[in-house]
Parts: sequence; C-alpha cells; structure tokens
Amino acid sequence: MKKKRMSSEARKQLRLLPGHIIVGIWCAFTLLMLLWIVCASLSTSPEIMKGQAMLFKSGLHFDNYVRAWSLNSISTYFMNSLVYGLISMVASVLISAPAAYVLARCVFKGNTTIKSSFVVAMSIPQIMIVMPLFSAAVRTGLSNSKIVLLILYTGMALPYTTTFLTAFFTNQSKVYEEAAAIDGATPMQTFWKIMFPLAQPGLVTVSIFNFMNVWNEYFLSMIFASSQKTMTVGPGLKSVLTAMQYTGDWGGLFAAVVIVFLPTLLIFIFLSRTIINGITAGGIKG
Amino acid sequence: MKQDKKMIVCFLAPLMIFFVGLYIYPIVRTIIMSFYHVEAISDPISTWSFVGLYNFKELLNTTIFRQSMINMIKIWLMGGVAVMFFAILFAVILTSGVKAKNFYRAVIYIPNIVNAVAISTMWINFVYNKRFGLLHTFFKWIGANNLAKMDYMNGTAKFYSLLVAFCFGSVGYFMLIVMSGIEQLPGDMYEAATIDGATKPKQFRYITLPLLNGVLKTCLTFWTIAVIGFFVWSQMWSAPLPSDVATITPVVYMYNLAFGSLANAARDGGMAAAVGVLMTLVVLVVFQVLNLIFKKDDVEI
Repeated sequence: MKKKRMSSEARKQLRLLPGHIIVGIWCAFTLLMLLWIVCASLSTSPEIMKGQAMLFKSGLHFDNYVRAWSLNSISTYFMNSLVYGLISMVASVLISAPAAYVLARCVFKGNTTIKSSFVVAMSIPQIMIVMPLFSAAVRTGLSNSKIVLLILYTGMALPYTTTFLTAFFTNQSKVYEEAAAIDGATPMQTFWKIMFPLAQPGLVTVSIFNFMNVWNEYFLSMIFASSQKTMTVGPGLKSVLTAMQYTGDWGGLFAAVVIVFLPTLLIFIFLSRTIINGITAGGIKG
Repeated sequence: MKQDKKMIVCFLAPLMIFFVGLYIYPIVRTIIMSFYHVEAISDPISTWSFVGLYNFKELLNTTIFRQSMINMIKIWLMGGVAVMFFAILFAVILTSGVKAKNFYRAVIYIPNIVNAVAISTMWINFVYNKRFGLLHTFFKWIGANNLAKMDYMNGTAKFYSLLVAFCFGSVGYFMLIVMSGIEQLPGDMYEAATIDGATKPKQFRYITLPLLNGVLKTCLTFWTIAVIGFFVWSQMWSAPLPSDVATITPVVYMYNLAFGSLANAARDGGMAAAVGVLMTLVVLVVFQVLNLIFKKDDVEI
C-alpha cells in the first residue's frame, strides 16, 4: 500500500517529464559544448583531429594555456578588456546615477523627452553613429589610444544605465530625503551621502551588466582599435584564431577561447540570479 | 528651489554632454553625409559634394547590398519564428513548476554571456567541423556516410549553419523576457475569472494571450534590433575572408564600405552613411508595424 502512494511532488514532476526532457536535451548540448572546448584546450592537435579530444590519451596539456597566453598576445587583449570594462563600468555609473536621480525625482521641462530619447538611442543601429565618431577620433589624433574606446564604452552604456537607474530611484522611498532635509542637508549632499549608497543593489546589477557587455563587445573594438595595444578580446581572439589555424596549433587555439570566455562565465556562475533579474527588469521596461 | 535647479543642471550636464556628443551629433552628421559623395569618412566637410539621393539609388541597385538585405530578412523571419517558438516553449515549461528551474534557466542563458567570437568558434569546430565535428561523428556513427561528408561551412549549408548557431544562443534571452511576463501574471486574476464562470480556454484567450501579446511585442522589438546589428557572426562565418556573399549582412557591407576591408569594393563614406540611414528607416518601419499589430489587447506589464 505504502509503495503505491507516491508523494504529490514526485507525481507532479513525472507529469512534467516531457518538459524535463526537452529542456534537458537543450541544456545537455550547451554543457557538452563547453565541456568539449575545455577538454580540447587540454589536448594535443592530433588528438583533436582524430576526434579524441575528450580521452586525454597523452595526459593533460596545460602548456596549451601557457602558449596561448604568452605567445599570441591574448594576455594583452585580456588586460585591455579588463581596463576598458572596469573603468567604463565605474564611469558610466558615476555619470548616470546623479542624472537618473534627477530624472526620477525632479519635475522640470523636458524630463520625459530626455527619458524617451534614451529609449530611442538604445534602438538606433550603431552604424548610424560610428562614422562621424571615427572621423573625430582621426582628426583629434586619438585614434591609436585607449581613450577613444574608453569614452565610447562609457557612452554606449549610458542610455541603458540611466533608464535602469531611473526606474530604480523612482521605486525608492522618499522618507530618507525628507529626514535629511529636516536635518538641513542640501539636495546634492543628500544624494551623494544617502541615496547613492542606498542604491547599491541597483548599481551593482547594472555595473556587472555593463562590464560583461564591454567584455563581449566586438563591433566598436573592430573599428576603433587599430593595433594590438588597444584591441579587446573579441577581435583579438579572432586574429589569434586566424593565426593559429595556419600554424595548426588547435590545442592552443581552444585554450585561447577558454581564456576569453572564462571571466564572464565565472561571473555568471556566481551571480546568475542578480544578472537574470537585472535583464528581465531592464528588458520589460525598455 | 534654487538648490534644486542647481542640482538638476549639475547632475544632468555630464550625461547630456555625452549624449549630444556620442548620439545626436553623429546621427545628424551621418544623415547629412548620406546625401553627399564622401570618399574617406575622415575627409573634411569642405571636400564633400552634394549628390541628392544618388547614394540610395546606387545602393539599391548593388547586387551585394541586395543580397545582404535578403540575408538579413531571412535571418529575421526564419530565425525569428524559431527563436520565439523555443523561447515561449521553454518559458512555459520552466514556469510550469519543474524542479531545477533556476539551473535550466541559467544554462539556457549561458550562450548570451559568452563572447560571440568564442561561442561561434565552438560551433564551427565542435559541431560543424567536417573532420571531427559532432554532426560528422553522429552521421558516421549511424552509417549515413553521405551526410557525414557534408561541409557545413560551404555552399548553401553555410547560411543555415550560421542561422542555427545564432538562434540557439538567442533563445535564452527571449525566454527570460517571456518567463518574467508569465510570472508577473497575477494568479488571483484566474481565480476571479473562474468564480465569474470563465472557462479555461476563455481564460487563455482573454487573460494569457493579451499578456503574451505585450511580451511578444517586446521580444520582436529586441529581435529586430539584434538582427539589424548582425555583424560578428557573419564575420566569423566568412573568416578568413572579411565577408562572404552567403552570409553578408548590411552592417558587414557598410563596414567594408566605410572602413575598407581588403576584399570588397572601393571605400565610399556617403554610401556607407546611406546604409545606416536605410537601416534606421527599417527599424522605424518595423516598430510602427509592431505598434499597429499589437495595439489591440495590449497589456502594460
């Protein structure tokens, strides 16, 4: 008698089995692809060619990583992307947060126009803006320095960051500001000392998001980074791939791929809930 | 009050400077440029010569550009149907109360957080490689030798191998949007409807569908933006060449025109600007059409 009485939860999951299978296959494929590339990055080129990348017949080849990191300037691209990502992440929040606060709290002419122009800016194709900016970079003689991409990455993050933070500040209670006003703090002091620190959860979410966007960015880097010195991991990895395909160093090639995707993957593994919540919040509003 | 005005100006000024410099100025200049003959994009304005609508006419008569538009429309239509289908399917499955929902959701989303160059390298080698790829191994294993010999990176298969890889990665993002739409659906609305005597099909028709309508509009808006900007995948599939007729898109074509790749036609800044203006018009038209289609039954969420 007892055997027959399955828990209701187990019965429910059994009923949902087709769903589990469909989603499971999709996930298994994704994970297998990631696993394969990690295995291939630890194998030798002949092993990969024979389709035995996951068997490790000659052991683990960590030297692939050493080669990819030092010989093929992946390290330079990696550090560049890190610098672009971190600086533009901080800069865009410092520029957007005060503006978003004003847009959320103050009533003034043009408020809604500004807000909706950011939404428009997010849907304008980037090809509409790159040419005049490129021409400006050439004319100012900055085209071969990191400053150009730093400014661009900061600027490209602003419409989304501002929209996201405006929604965030709109939902915050006004109690703190009222209390601060009674204590005689000016509105600006109130923002920097009270509201900005209070907005920390929103600031963190949008910063992670901006960092990952810069890390995965390709189009702008392709146009504005003309040399190894300024290039990011996207176009950098592509040039490494081209070079390594000719030398036939498949192990090193896949090691370079792993080096490039590992940072964002690790961030995602540790902060997936924050990131996913941020995307849905921004996605629905945008 | 004076304090307030000072704060509004101080807090907004840096953002507006960036916005004018990085969006408004370039957009205006690109629009003007599209009516001029401009050889190199960094040429000073004094060397530009007015040509009216010539750039646009010439562009629409260029075979490669037309091909790039056809490719883009194919990606939008075929990819759009597939991506929305899987996104809605997965969203419905994951909100039906399955265990390990968060795990599934995160794994399906992974392709979106990995650098596109890295993820396309995985596809090209792990799945499509004709010597050791998954498809090759699979077809060889089941004895379909003809299929095993297939080269997915050439001929007609090339476009579809690109489409499948791109769409596979896109599903996760749209699934998240649909999921959050379904989750925001108030459960008590169904309860109230049941008390009022609405049948299940009626509830789906009058509650779930209007909601999905709004979500679908959001999804199609983002899908359109993503497809218009289609660049890196196209470049990866045409490597080591800068572009390839089978996978070229308007942005790639524009890139070749403006920033002069080795393979394609001469540099032409005016023409490249015209591509940009045309693409912006396409976005605007699509948004208008979406607004018309989804006007009815639209629900704010």
